[in-house]
Amino acid sequence: MPDEERKKLGFGGMLKGVMYGMASHGNVTAALRTRMYMEHLFMFITLGDMLGIPVLPPYYSLRLLPYAVPNVKSWKQRVFRERDFTDALY
Amino acid sequence: MDTPALFVVLALIAYGAAYLWYSRWYDRAVWAPDAGRTTPAHMLMDGVEYFPVSKYVLWGYQFKSVAALGPILGPFIAIQYGWLPALAWIIIGNFFIGWLQDYSSIMVSLRNEGRSFGPITYDFMGARGRTTLLWFIILYLLIISATFIFFIATFFNIFPGVFWATMGVLITGVIAGRLLYRLRWNVGLVTLLALIGVALSIWISTDVGIFHVVANFMGGNTILFWAIVTAVILYLGSVLPLPTFIQPINYVAFFPAFAAIVVILVSSLITPFTGIHLQQSAFKTFYPGLNPGPLWPILFVAIACGAISGWHSLVSSSSTSKQVDIETDARPVGAGAMLTEGLLALASLAAYMVLSSKATGLSSVGAWVNGAGVLANPWLGFLGKAILATFFGLVLVVYALTVQALVTRFWRLVSAELAGDGQFAVLGNKHVATIVGLVIPVAFAINGSWWNLWLYFGASNQLLAGLALMIVSIHLAKVRKDTRPSIIPATFMIVTTLAALVWEIIVFVNAVATNKPLTQVGTTFAQPGWHNVALAFNGIFVVFGLLLLYFGLRMTWSSYGAYFRMMRGERPQAAQPRPSTAAGGAGRK
Repeated sequence: MPDEERKKLGFGGMLKGVMYGMASHGNVTAALRTRMYMEHLFMFITLGDMLGIPVLPPYYSLRLLPYAVPNVKSWKQRVFRERDFTDALY
Repeated sequence: MDTPALFVVLALIAYGAAYLWYSRWYDRAVWAPDAGRTTPAHMLMDGVEYFPVSKYVLWGYQFKSVAALGPILGPFIAIQYGWLPALAWIIIGNFFIGWLQDYSSIMVSLRNEGRSFGPITYDFMGARGRTTLLWFIILYLLIISATFIFFIATFFNIFPGVFWATMGVLITGVIAGRLLYRLRWNVGLVTLLALIGVALSIWISTDVGIFHVVANFMGGNTILFWAIVTAVILYLGSVLPLPTFIQPINYVAFFPAFAAIVVILVSSLITPFTGIHLQQSAFKTFYPGLNPGPLWPILFVAIACGAISGWHSLVSSSSTSKQVDIETDARPVGAGAMLTEGLLALASLAAYMVLSSKATGLSSVGAWVNGAGVLANPWLGFLGKAILATFFGLVLVVYALTVQALVTRFWRLVSAELAGDGQFAVLGNKHVATIVGLVIPVAFAINGSWWNLWLYFGASNQLLAGLALMIVSIHLAKVRKDTRPSIIPATFMIVTTLAALVWEIIVFVNAVATNKPLTQVGTTFAQPGWHNVALAFNGIFVVFGLLLLYFGLRMTWSSYGAYFRMMRGERPQAAQPRPSTAAGGAGRK
């Protein structure tokens, strides 16, 4: 968060942040993770054919490719990231 | 002078000093955080796990994640020695060790690319260290589950209406989840409806005494019955998708849990005006007997989270550190949340201080509910004692249930990691893993005496904290920083917790040797016909304690070895990849 934004945040903003953090932040993170796994599945189905795992016929893979390409970079980053059992805690 | 308020104020001053003076000095002298340094949240931003979050949001998240039953129930065993030793440990322990562990766990992860303790342990202590940590955590999860399932079952059993109030919260949560995620209703409206649902659940439930029916029907098996009910709820939490069950329930359960913290803190602070006085002696005895044992080491593991907790280091390094915006946010988030949790422990201690010694005997598991009722009654008495008791009983259950649901889910994931693709792959199946992760704790819960299981849990939890401080010290030794503020508390915690484990093993060995098994009154195996089964389970607890001790010692040996290697300036024992095997090898995962 830029410094100016931090300074602008009054007491109300702080309180809102704390309440959001307590009540919802964990849920939001969990929802994002669920979406991440769904995206992994989508990418795997779409690109599987090109990786040598024919999940979907090439015709459909190519039709879906334009939707998959923008996410390839972040997908690669997430898939290649080191994961450990202690990461799964929260 | 004889009201709890003075001590809560004293703690506020001490924690203020810890935050404004000691943590600032430590921060400057040891970690030297730099607001300009790129944090993993920016460096590895993926919008899912790594992304920068305001320190206020992160503080709220950290506090909610670390505050559970530990600070509420821990002081209960500690007060057997008198309230003064418990108060001293909550203040001094948190001042010198508790916040330092939480904060340093965030910092060590921040300085290691946001990685959690598993990979950091691997780097410092090799594959063997990481495997030991994994096994230690497996045992730790089992013992947390056993204690929490026992408590939930007991609270369902002893407080009228708590079961139905909990059901009300669960149903409200599931409906709220459908409204939010499926029908996409406005969050504010759903929250308002959920609050009404929770209030109605408490109000209606006070008059519904299902426990009488169950008690008549089940006889001496009531705890077993409630433990099975709890296990079914946890099973659903583990196998259903998060947005369907756990997420919305946690959201709805947050409100009564948070309200209870505010109520009990305010109630403690206004005791000079409400006329609630201390009913306990400041100091009772150093040695109340073999069970629960001497003040040192037992008191230091009984208060499982109010002064220091290993669970916090797992939370700090697994999720919080990945979302810290700038390094200087780590202190308010880590240290601030832990010191606030200390206040919760103090307020809970106040709830025990205002009850008589008889009312806080070791078999009075629900004493906190009674004490909280005594504290709150002068200003919230218009609600009625039954509603207050149901409310505080519900709070205990939701604290235990929400954390336990995550623990059961975590167990399932760890089981999948352990079982792998080998011949035991079936144990990694989500249904099998969940059932195994519930059947063992339920069997433990209905067999052991609850405070002995709690002390196993406390000892393993605090030992994990000591090991987390060792990881911090190893990192600091590696970067040539002062390790004294972390290595001294680490050594104290490790020695104390290992001693507590040894003591508890002796207690169970004594129970087996004298043919007097430790059981909880009211549970199935406390009945005469089950004597030999209870004895056999006490034998299992001896083995369980020995396993905890073995893995704890192994981890201690590895961590001190790594620490001294770093102090000598040698390279970290980055694991050498071992040759792969047909079963998948032991290489880096």
